[in-house]
Amino acid sequence: MARLKIDNLRKSYGPVEVLKGIDLEIEDGGFLVLVGPSGCGKSTLLNCIAGLEDISGGDILIGERSVTGLHPSKRDIAMVFQSYALYPNMTVEKNISFGMEIRGMPRAAREAAINEVADMLQIRELLKRKPSQLSGGQRQRVAMGRALVRDPQVFLFDEPLSNLDAKLRVDMRTEIKRLHQRMGTTIVYVTHDQIEALTLATKIAVLKDGELLQFGTPDQIYNDPVNMFVADFMGSPSMNLLPATVVEDGGALMVSLAGHEGDMLLPAPESAAMRALLGRQVIFGIRPEAFTDPQGADRTTGQIEKRTCFVDVVEPAGSDTFAVVNLGGKSAVARLRADAQIAPGAVTELAFNMSKAVFFDPASQARVQ
Amino acid sequence: MRESFQNWLPRLVLAPSFLLILVFVYGFIAYTGYLSMTNSKMLPSYDWVGLANYEKLFRLRHWNTAMKNLAIFGALYIIVSSLLGLLLAILLDQKIRAEGVIRPIYLYPMALSFIVTGTAWKWFLDPGIGLENVMHQWGWESFSFTWIKDRNMAIYTVVIAAVWQSSGFVMAMFLAGLRGVDNEIIKAAQIDGATGFRIYRKIIIPMMRPVFLSAFVVLAHLAIKAYDLVVALTGGGPGRATELPATFMYSYTFTRNQMGVGAASAIIMLMMIFSIIVPYIYSELKSGENR
Amino acid sequence: MSAAGQDIALKGSRITRFVIYTVLIVFAIFYLLPLYVMLTNSLKPLEEIRGGGMLSLPKVWTLEPWRAAWSHAQIGVSPTGLKPFFINSIMMVVPAVVLSTFMGAMNGYVLTKWSFRGSGVVFGLLLLACFIPFQIVLIPMARILGLIGLAGTTWGLVLVHTIYGLGFTTLFFRNYYAAFPTELVRAAQIDGASFFQIFWRILAPSSAPIVVVTVIWQFTNVWNDFLFGVSFADFDSIPMTVALNNLVNSSTGVKEYNVHFAGAILAALPTLVVYIVSGRYFVRGLMAGAVKG
Repeated sequence: MARLKIDNLRKSYGPVEVLKGIDLEIEDGGFLVLVGPSGCGKSTLLNCIAGLEDISGGDILIGERSVTGLHPSKRDIAMVFQSYALYPNMTVEKNISFGMEIRGMPRAAREAAINEVADMLQIRELLKRKPSQLSGGQRQRVAMGRALVRDPQVFLFDEPLSNLDAKLRVDMRTEIKRLHQRMGTTIVYVTHDQIEALTLATKIAVLKDGELLQFGTPDQIYNDPVNMFVADFMGSPSMNLLPATVVEDGGALMVSLAGHEGDMLLPAPESAAMRALLGRQVIFGIRPEAFTDPQGADRTTGQIEKRTCFVDVVEPAGSDTFAVVNLGGKSAVARLRADAQIAPGAVTELAFNMSKAVFFDPASQARVQ
Repeated sequence: MRESFQNWLPRLVLAPSFLLILVFVYGFIAYTGYLSMTNSKMLPSYDWVGLANYEKLFRLRHWNTAMKNLAIFGALYIIVSSLLGLLLAILLDQKIRAEGVIRPIYLYPMALSFIVTGTAWKWFLDPGIGLENVMHQWGWESFSFTWIKDRNMAIYTVVIAAVWQSSGFVMAMFLAGLRGVDNEIIKAAQIDGATGFRIYRKIIIPMMRPVFLSAFVVLAHLAIKAYDLVVALTGGGPGRATELPATFMYSYTFTRNQMGVGAASAIIMLMMIFSIIVPYIYSELKSGENR
Repeated sequence: MSAAGQDIALKGSRITRFVIYTVLIVFAIFYLLPLYVMLTNSLKPLEEIRGGGMLSLPKVWTLEPWRAAWSHAQIGVSPTGLKPFFINSIMMVVPAVVLSTFMGAMNGYVLTKWSFRGSGVVFGLLLLACFIPFQIVLIPMARILGLIGLAGTTWGLVLVHTIYGLGFTTLFFRNYYAAFPTELVRAAQIDGASFFQIFWRILAPSSAPIVVVTVIWQFTNVWNDFLFGVSFADFDSIPMTVALNNLVNSSTGVKEYNVHFAGAILAALPTLVVYIVSGRYFVRGLMAGAVKG
């Protein structure tokens, strides 16, 4: 087990720079999730850590040791692939023992190791089967088993759940989390699924176009996004990002956005940055769960603002009811209690939890604190 | 040290093939190209004569006959094989019970050597013992089929034998194409009220464009290379009636001791093939990259 | 191959079906006719053929033409039959197929799983080499074979066929391995397997279908080749196709059509057997050769 440090990592294919100086550090036993849209460089970053791709600049340290230039097998890592990458011609048992065999481990030790992971993952009855005879979830387990027998310093997971159906994905997610809690090994995990990122990670790195946009705990990423991209990407349904204007009302800063009956005013935090935008446009960001029916609003915060809104569409979703509301000239989603009495076309009072509101500069897309 | 050896290993493994191809294909092309501009006769000589061999080549009646024959043979071979292949593929795609029996019968000629094909057709078309003789024996005294001995018609017997050999393969290509047509497109057309023939004419056959292109490229390059079949079937005769560039090249280089002219004719053949193949490969590789 | 196209079967009357079947059967006869002619006439005495019975079954059945074709027909100048040339062909085909298939497999492995700057160019050169008219290499090849002392030998022909088969064998394996999941190679790398271990332990066990396709393709092409055989072979190395042509076109004496037909079948037999035993793979090879990418 070891910490992982990535120092100004650069990677280019010819003139195309796909990783533009990434700095990351995950403590020993941490669970780092790399998340971003496809093409953001997250899988490339993982492959660089694994040593499957050469890096163009910077350094990677596992523990205190630089692994740059080392062969993948010498980095003391194990990897679980998106397609599981089980060797099709070998049984489950052979799949798990292949690496140990290559390393010249004696047969008895190999068998002991296989038995141990087989019990841990409950795949004992699958050992003699070929991968083609396994279900998706079983393959997933075997792939993890193959990684586990290495007992590495760092586990690498490359979108391991993306080939499973929705239900199984949730189960396996829990299982991975349980495994991590039990083994305490450092994990680097790539996904494009922001829910996976939030549920699994101790630290999340949000990447886009080869740049690290934000690196922090799931709470920081979710509640304190540094820019509009992170705010929009994390969370489902995603954050409402509504055009508004910064105004002053009786000395207090407010934002004004187009509502049901003319402009609606909401209080804005007093700060130099905000005041600098007075009279200009700002993007008002509020997550659906902070924009709800007055009964369902978080009573512990003192910043609940109730406003009348026009409900355009109602989408019951079982556990919640979503209401689409016209705000700031756009469709905003409010998350109401499941049994909230509301009908499309209604004009009703909704609550804004302004303690959760965030503001962005529309020009730079950056957060205005 | 070991690591860097592993890094070089892929290059080392590919190197022998690369060198062999570089020398034995591209080096040889260059060498033949060079010879085509010398006055080599029986043995290669290195006296530079520029384009004289090419000028001579295009003045030779023998060569012009070969090119004319190639035009006739190539055009008919490609057109007949494609149309026949398409027809048979469509017919075979009509829920034919015996498809498993018929398809291999159409395809087996592709497994044969052109020499075997040539031998079989040579005697079957021979007026003395073959088809004509059989018809006479069966009582059709006036039946006459002497194409293989006829200077004006012999080239068409080459077409017959070549079509016999290749059309089954074209059929297989079209059959694969037909089976790859999206079912829903056809259902949509049926709902629009189109009937069988019209669906084929308006929808399916136009969708076979890539297959037509592949078939054209394969058949055209086979036509230009055609050598064995002519040797076995007619020997280039009667006279020079079935001479093709490939047989011309061989006889000028190895029996008539005009190596310079032979090399020039080989270069022309290469240019003909490359003008078809290079754009095709280029577009295939390009569309492959875009996938 | 799900029969998607069959949904649009030309629905129609019995007459339509009858016409379709008739056309299909007529063409089946067209394709079978030469084989039938070769087979029946190789089993009858010469007089029957001369008497105009080419399309009828033998009245007198005889294996003599086969015996003659195999062991004592006049080929060129000596009455050896086709047997020594059949053996020549085998001696040439086996090493040429093994070598070109193996090299093609390694090339395909490198080109798909270990590609490096410039490997695409190498592949382009190999691919283009598939289509050159072999006339272009005849003159220099004859010189080189002479220079390295392989002129007129079976090993010379093995070399020639190996080199000019490389393009297609590489193409086959490259296309096959391109569809082989690269993640498996990566997983094996992390497991510590070396370049050759990955090939032999991971890719090779899954390569049986493409090996079969390639071997059949190469076997058929090399066996059926005439141009290289006629250009570069001496008596000790003349392959079957060239010998058959010599048999049929030797101008001395009477034309023994029945022997010619028996010889033609002998020359066709190995590839025909391969086709009958593994027609599916044979067709797949043809298609792979036609449809690149």
